[in-house]
Amino acid sequence: MLNDPLLRAWAALIGLSLGSTLLALGVLPPGLTVLSGVLILALAWLKARVILARYLGLADAPFWRRGFEMSLAGFCLLLLGLYLAPGLG
Amino acid sequence: MTDASVFDELPGDLMIWVLIISELLVFGAGLAAFMAVRITDPEGFGLAQDALHRTSAGINTVVLVTSGALAALALRLREGARRGAARLALIGAALLGVVFLVIKGAEYAGKAAEGIGWDTHPFFTFYYLLTGFHAAHVVAGVIVLLLVAWQDAPRNIEAGAAFWHMVDLVWVLLFPVIYLLR
Repeated sequence: MLNDPLLRAWAALIGLSLGSTLLALGVLPPGLTVLSGVLILALAWLKARVILARYLGLADAPFWRRGFEMSLAGFCLLLLGLYLAPGLG
Repeated sequence: MTDASVFDELPGDLMIWVLIISELLVFGAGLAAFMAVRITDPEGFGLAQDALHRTSAGINTVVLVTSGALAALALRLREGARRGAARLALIGAALLGVVFLVIKGAEYAGKAAEGIGWDTHPFFTFYYLLTGFHAAHVVAGVIVLLLVAWQDAPRNIEAGAAFWHMVDLVWVLLFPVIYLLR
């Protein structure tokens, strides 16, 4: 049943969403809040990649897929920097 | 590779992609501003965030990505000349959009009952601005999905579904930043 790329994408999105919610609900020890934040942002990027590739059809448009993925990766890195900034002061 | 062939590679109409990129830039700027203001008061933002209901927002994520899958399925069904099934998939996607709005409405009502408003804390200013603007897009998306279920040319469904996937894409970035990052 999971041979269908659309169904696989949906299942991946559900799994990634559950993963990020569990991380926020504190499955990691309290001392690992920063790691949890890094993982949550990484999972957000992965979810965005799945939507771009399978829902929006960029799987068949490698040039644009790469462009969107790199732009979103840059944006997530910006968010990560802003997230970590308070701990650097 | 020529410029024309690069643009030809894009699925659907070029203008829908201009819209998608514009919306991503607007929401991206909002989220970056949210994270930048958070630097001035991370503890206050953390306490304010604890007032949010993460589980219902997580359920809304499942609702929206499932709705997105139905919209993508509708296009495939229509291209396979299964018009009735495609229309049902689009109506199902729209109904899940309504479910998203009902859960969001309950969330806003809960905040209002607790006396939490947009001016309670800068966190909530961004929260209402970003989630409210996104909810407005969900309302528009539900209308668009129903319109393309009615006027169901494949080109229409492709554009309507792409708009809906943009709403989905914004949510998977907005949800972790507003609700989950501690």
